[in-house]
Amino acid sequence: MIFAFLAIPVIAGGLVWITKNKTVIHLTNLIGALLILISSIAALIEINKFKAVTSTGIFKDLFYIDSLSGYILLITTLAFFLVSLFSISYFGEELKRNVITLKKLKLYYSLSNAFVLAMILALITQNMGVMWIAIEATTLASAFLVGFYNNKRSIEAAWKYLIICSVGIAFAMLGIILLYYSSTITQVGNKISGLNWNFLLQNASSLDPSILKIAFIFILIGFGTKVGFSPMHTWLPDAHSQAPSPVSALLSGVLLNTAIYGIIRVLSIVNTCLGNNNYTGNLLLLLGILSIATAAMFVLVQQDYKRILAYSSIEHMGIIALGLGICTPVSIFAAMYHTFNHAMTKSMLFLATGNVYLKYHTKKIAGIRGLIKTMPVTGIVFVLGVFAITGMPPFGIFMSEFSTVVGAIQSKKYIIAMLLLLFLAVIFAGFVKQISKMFYGNNPNSEIEKGELDFISSSVLIVLLCIIIFVGIYIPAPLKSLMDACTEIVLGGI
Amino acid sequence: MYNNALNLLSILILISSFVLIANKRQNSYISTFRFQSLLLASISLLVSIRGMLVHKKFDEVFIIFLLIVLFKVILIPMVLKRTSQKVEYTVEKDFFINIPISMLICGGLVVLSWYVIYSIEGITNLDTKNYLIYSMSVVMIGLFFMISRKKAIGQIVGFLVIENGMFLAAMLTTEGMPMFVEFGLFFDLLTAFLIMGIFVFKINDTFESIDINKLKNLKG
Repeated sequence: MIFAFLAIPVIAGGLVWITKNKTVIHLTNLIGALLILISSIAALIEINKFKAVTSTGIFKDLFYIDSLSGYILLITTLAFFLVSLFSISYFGEELKRNVITLKKLKLYYSLSNAFVLAMILALITQNMGVMWIAIEATTLASAFLVGFYNNKRSIEAAWKYLIICSVGIAFAMLGIILLYYSSTITQVGNKISGLNWNFLLQNASSLDPSILKIAFIFILIGFGTKVGFSPMHTWLPDAHSQAPSPVSALLSGVLLNTAIYGIIRVLSIVNTCLGNNNYTGNLLLLLGILSIATAAMFVLVQQDYKRILAYSSIEHMGIIALGLGICTPVSIFAAMYHTFNHAMTKSMLFLATGNVYLKYHTKKIAGIRGLIKTMPVTGIVFVLGVFAITGMPPFGIFMSEFSTVVGAIQSKKYIIAMLLLLFLAVIFAGFVKQISKMFYGNNPNSEIEKGELDFISSSVLIVLLCIIIFVGIYIPAPLKSLMDACTEIVLGGI
Repeated sequence: MYNNALNLLSILILISSFVLIANKRQNSYISTFRFQSLLLASISLLVSIRGMLVHKKFDEVFIIFLLIVLFKVILIPMVLKRTSQKVEYTVEKDFFINIPISMLICGGLVVLSWYVIYSIEGITNLDTKNYLIYSMSVVMIGLFFMISRKKAIGQIVGFLVIENGMFLAAMLTTEGMPMFVEFGLFFDLLTAFLIMGIFVFKINDTFESIDINKLKNLKG
């Protein structure tokens, strides 16, 4: 089971180099993505029966999937599958226009498989050291994806991304070394298990609180850089706006969740050790509010529609941090729910920008008018997506943001709730003011002909739209019980 | 005796990072980095020999010693030298903050790390405390080096110094992380170095210089 997760991306990423037929290349990748999606669903079924999937043999202590990792894994693989489907039409179109060569297409598929492999590895391991290695590997695999077009802007974005994330994550390593140190001085046990979060969680009460506190700060800063918490977010708008749209969807929808997953694991260890969440909660609330505030300020002044979406990712990571920081069952459930909603909605929006960019060849909001007339499906999905991402009912994000506010009020954090609502209103106003110009009016450029890109890209957008509307109205029972299990795990259960 | 030697070597590593800050030219960064890696290698040799004497069996840290010598002392400096010869090289003054002030700031960083580590009550072993202070200072100085230099090569050297600090911390406080973690770390950082090297050439091609100051198209 676990080897399927690791083997499929490697095989799919390697097989694309064998053939020269582009249909076969697209299909190879798509089948690989579908197989990983199926394996993650199979893993979830097994978790439902036995609580966790473990490996045997020499890797006995290395791999461990429980509900939380299975949940993030499901989001990752689902988004990857839909993005792979979308890539067929996006890169197919670019190939037709000779923007990219066939070799570049193969490179894209190999790198995106490597990127997903690194994220999956981060999720299925229980060893903090391996998790760190995998999260660093996500940066390395995606650096070339960010700099995919090799122009001035994309190389600048890729360099910033590479440097800021590699350096930031070095701090997380210091934190992990301290965690390991705290387990070696208090525990006998064998060497390897000292880095396992499962082992650390079980022995949390005998670890030293002062070391854990400092380790948490390092890890929060380190993985927080990768999550895009303000003030370490500076790489994020650049990377998200310069990468090709399918890559932006993966970066924003999936990668940020993987990094926040790393923080969650340490969070539950530290909370269990300290016996309460005051320490970690205050740090997370601070970073969360700061991120939302930063996003609110920058959304108001952006002129580039992909950058607005990138800042909105910072905002939503901030909301998840608030949910984790408040740390009541309601707020953590909201954070988990928000993770799913954000991943789906943001992937949908970034994929929609891919269609828009291919049609209009500009990322400037000022260059786009009459989107709904020119591209009916993309335009309508985009409008609804903007409403969804700013937290309008009936979409999923409204529900999860609402639960976060409820959680804040229930635990008497009125100031947090007030600030959150205020910034959400500012962000809504910013979005409407900036983006709404794109949809109406007449297209100023008569050379652009009407019509969608093709059937596949439109259907991916519609599927994603259906998912976010459906989840907003009704959470299916299996998903709900999965999120309940995650909430329990974050609160320190096993 | 053993602890004194480790203490001495780790202090030398800290001093070598001050030497790095005082360097003015790309080529001397690379030599300083090589010297620092040599010191790190000798620490790993010492730790592994002691491990072998105490436990009477082969110590895995020895492999780390070989890796450090092979990559950090020999290969990476060689590749860096070659890269810096190939890319455009005209700016004489490569730093934003002048050197005396940089030295003072780095002194402040050492004091800061000292303060942070001493405020952790859980670390009872005095030697461990000292090692953590040295290694954290090296990490902080490497970070400062990265932000104070204009050239991409300087940033890569800063990154390598940060990872030297991390290895120092891992080796001395916990006597080596589990083997596969150390391998993974090494492999990851090597890949990071290679990718950064490729990007230096890309930056050089597109911007006709490796001056990071020119990377200012994306704002807000």
